[in-house]
Amino acid sequence: MIGLCLVVIGRIFYLQIIQYETYSSLGEENSIRQEYVSPARGLIYDRNGILIVDNEPIFSITVTPANFDKEKIPLLARLLETEIDEITERINEAQRYSWYRTSPLLTDVNFETFSLIQENIWQLPGIGHQIESKRHYPTDMIASHIFGYLREADRNDYDKSNDLRLGDKIGKSGLEMIYEDTLRGDLGVEFLKVNAYGQSLGNYEGERSTQNPIQGGNLYTTIDAELQAFVELLMKDKIGAVVAMNPLTGEILSLVSSPNYNVDRLAGRLDRDYWAHINSDTTRPLYNRAISSRQPPGSTFKPLMGIIGLHLGYLTPETIVKNTGGFRKGRLYRDLAPKGDYNLQKAITFSSNTFFNSLMDRIGTSGDLNTWSNLVNDFGLGVPNGIDLPSATQGIIPDSAYMDQRFGKRKWGIGDIINLGIGQGVISVSPLQIAQMTSSIANGGYRIRPHLVHSIHNDDGSVMITPIVYEKIDWVKPEYLETVKKGMRGVVQEGSGRYYAKTGIIDLAGKTGTAENPHGFSHGWFTSFAPYEDPEIVVTVFLENAGFASSSAAPIASLILEKYLTGEINRQYTYNYVMNWVPKEDNSQGDSE
Amino acid sequence: MSNVRDFNWSITFAWVLLTIIGLTAIYSATQGPVSDFLAEYIQINFYKQLGFVVVSILLMISVQFISPRTFLQLSFVFYFIGIVLMVLTLIFGSEINGAKSWFRIGPFGIQSSEFMKIATILAVANYLTSRRNISAENIRYAFTSVLIILLPAALVILQNDFGTAIIFFALIPVMLFWSGLPYGVSLFIISPAIILYLTVIGWQFGLVAALLLTGLIFFIQRRTWLTITSFVTGMLTITGVQLALSSVLQPHQIARITAFTNPSFDPTGAGWNVIQAKTAIGSGGLMGKGFMEGTQTQLKFLPESYTDFIYCVIGEEFGFLGAGLVVITFAFLFIRLLRMAGNHKHPYAQLVTVSVTAVFFIHFFINIGSATALLPVIGIPLPFISYGGSAFLTNTFMLALCLNMDFHKREFSIYR
Repeated sequence: MIGLCLVVIGRIFYLQIIQYETYSSLGEENSIRQEYVSPARGLIYDRNGILIVDNEPIFSITVTPANFDKEKIPLLARLLETEIDEITERINEAQRYSWYRTSPLLTDVNFETFSLIQENIWQLPGIGHQIESKRHYPTDMIASHIFGYLREADRNDYDKSNDLRLGDKIGKSGLEMIYEDTLRGDLGVEFLKVNAYGQSLGNYEGERSTQNPIQGGNLYTTIDAELQAFVELLMKDKIGAVVAMNPLTGEILSLVSSPNYNVDRLAGRLDRDYWAHINSDTTRPLYNRAISSRQPPGSTFKPLMGIIGLHLGYLTPETIVKNTGGFRKGRLYRDLAPKGDYNLQKAITFSSNTFFNSLMDRIGTSGDLNTWSNLVNDFGLGVPNGIDLPSATQGIIPDSAYMDQRFGKRKWGIGDIINLGIGQGVISVSPLQIAQMTSSIANGGYRIRPHLVHSIHNDDGSVMITPIVYEKIDWVKPEYLETVKKGMRGVVQEGSGRYYAKTGIIDLAGKTGTAENPHGFSHGWFTSFAPYEDPEIVVTVFLENAGFASSSAAPIASLILEKYLTGEINRQYTYNYVMNWVPKEDNSQGDSE
Repeated sequence: MSNVRDFNWSITFAWVLLTIIGLTAIYSATQGPVSDFLAEYIQINFYKQLGFVVVSILLMISVQFISPRTFLQLSFVFYFIGIVLMVLTLIFGSEINGAKSWFRIGPFGIQSSEFMKIATILAVANYLTSRRNISAENIRYAFTSVLIILLPAALVILQNDFGTAIIFFALIPVMLFWSGLPYGVSLFIISPAIILYLTVIGWQFGLVAALLLTGLIFFIQRRTWLTITSFVTGMLTITGVQLALSSVLQPHQIARITAFTNPSFDPTGAGWNVIQAKTAIGSGGLMGKGFMEGTQTQLKFLPESYTDFIYCVIGEEFGFLGAGLVVITFAFLFIRLLRMAGNHKHPYAQLVTVSVTAVFFIHFFINIGSATALLPVIGIPLPFISYGGSAFLTNTFMLALCLNMDFHKREFSIYR
């Protein structure tokens, strides 16, 4: 008897003294529940401090699988006006995530549904609600390709991050994706006292203290909301892209890819029909043409060719090349510019192919292809440009290694190189890269890094300003740029751009281009900067299947420049022309721009 | 009338101390913050218990004015009244927690099986000590004694109160042993219980125990037939347990046993009680979390906190010190009672006192053993501490009888 009493004493000694730590923490786990408090996602502003992305409350229905009675699924489905299968699937997913934790079941239900659930909450154990937020876009601009959309994190995302919970939305494209960590902020933690039924009995007051969530950092972008909305208007119903940037800083003022999609419709509960629609649309609205599209630059490449020619000594500004209707080497490379003598400036203004074909021929035959390739890279073509958006292409600027790989060793020749001089052939760039190249010409030979975020304002008051990254391209001499810029100015005064881009109001320079498209109408390019003497803005327009650049892309660019520099549009005719424009092509003209 | 100084105040003190601890724990478990989650009829349990304590004190005092001989003479009367009550309960009683052991009289429920414990003890003691030559050594008397115990035990089983039945079974070896049953035979009688316990944990343990016990019985008694019977009984017990576990027992009973051997098998179901009980005690630590501060108790994690798991409340809120005090007080009570039994010259008084001590001890060990997961969860109350009016009243009555026989031991002598 005494022995058994000692056994009991020994037992409680074992449980209470030796195993105290174990049971103490078990007891705490029982009665204290850790809840995460979602921080507000960071806001996004334009360059003038206009709020362009904020948050709006949405009601979500949640489920705690352990408390939920699966026989209530039909009732729940009826109240939520959703298919039973979908509810079952979502509950199973929540169960796989955690049996005891609360997971979202259906987000962004409307207020009537939310109220209906609340009225019937007594017969729905394990069902709760949560007030969350969704992205809201208060301005006229759509800018879907800049902002990007948020979607619920998937299995992969949870595996990668400890901060994510089921149902958390994360940026899957655009700035929302690149700045996800900044925008998301830090989860807060609060400790709740709970009883055996899982009911919360208020905040736990003890050694474990509540951590308030840290709101996500706000992004101050370089976007000009008014300009962006205007560009979107001009690009409506057209397929293509526009990049407007400050050539001195690399700040993107506007970036439009058309068609775009309605990012607002992807903000709350996923609209599956809309999602399927934009995914299957053959014009690919999700595709960001401004930074991802790879196209031959066409004649917009000619100014850079001139600069390289001057640097390599194949040219002087006075070098004359005669256009007799085309450049002949193995075959005839047609030139639709008026016949006659061309120096570099005139060759740019009237877009003489002969001049640049012969220049490229000399580069190729002298074995300077790789040198040429490196010099082109210095202007940001064929290399990553470092923009803070996902899936930007670096384009293709061929060198001998690339040619070997593309055609096979010694299976390519000068015939494959000559056309590179006029931006055709195995060369491709994105609209953003042409804008970057144009910026380097406009800003006196500095390579700048394009960027969309000017600064990040954190919740704690700290501000991180994106550094302006620029680098002098050391081999570019001012006199090279002078000649080329004069040629580009000529384009809008006497060359192909004069009809549509000559404004009489602003002093701009530019270059048209046509990318040959074997599948249909050519793609039109126009890249420009203004004011000529002291450039503030570079605008590059790219239109797919648009026919000739001078009639399609150039007027759009000129309107953007006018809008940005004067704040208004005085050329109603051009505006109407652009708004009512339809693609047309006159193939007899060929590539003469 | 004896001198008040002859009254055994140390046992009375232990009784008072246990009662106070019990009332404190019941108060915490029914009137503390946890009361928000309890039905009203449970919340008032503290006051009901308090009422029973008051009645019990009066009973304790009034018993002392009665001569022990009266009780001796009334032994069989009590027994028959008890049996009748139990049969009535079986027919008219109401069922609580699956056991049909409650007999309602107005607002009070009387648990007739509680009263039956002391009635049975008195009856067996009277039978075994009424004549000089009666001794359990004689197989006929032993057999009759067993029958007197088995009758109420059978009724209790019919009432579906397995826990209380264990008490009756445990009385058999205790009372017979004290009345002269040889060690070896006594050991033989309790051996199935030991084998059963170990077999539930693992049949290999049961087998080892059966062989060891058989050897021990042979060594003590040197009787071939007893040894063979013991061996056969051991094997039958092991087989029976295995069979019971696999096919006879109902799922909820098996669940309880599995919950004991492996609580984590079903942590939210049958294992829940065991895990929560251990957690409550273990998290109490040395000093405990404080009166009405235990999270396991007050947040309703601990089931049956005011009855079967009351010890966990004490362990959680008053720590090792509180839980240890309970054990020490009980140990003190047992030692004092046994010493008191040793001082009696009258075998009836000896046998009653020892049997009462045994009943207390078995309750004590099974209850605390269940609460600390030394034993499977068997729902029997902790004497003087668990909520339960009938039990408190009966336990007090048993103690009062022992004190009474001690108080009056000069008048109550075998030689008179």
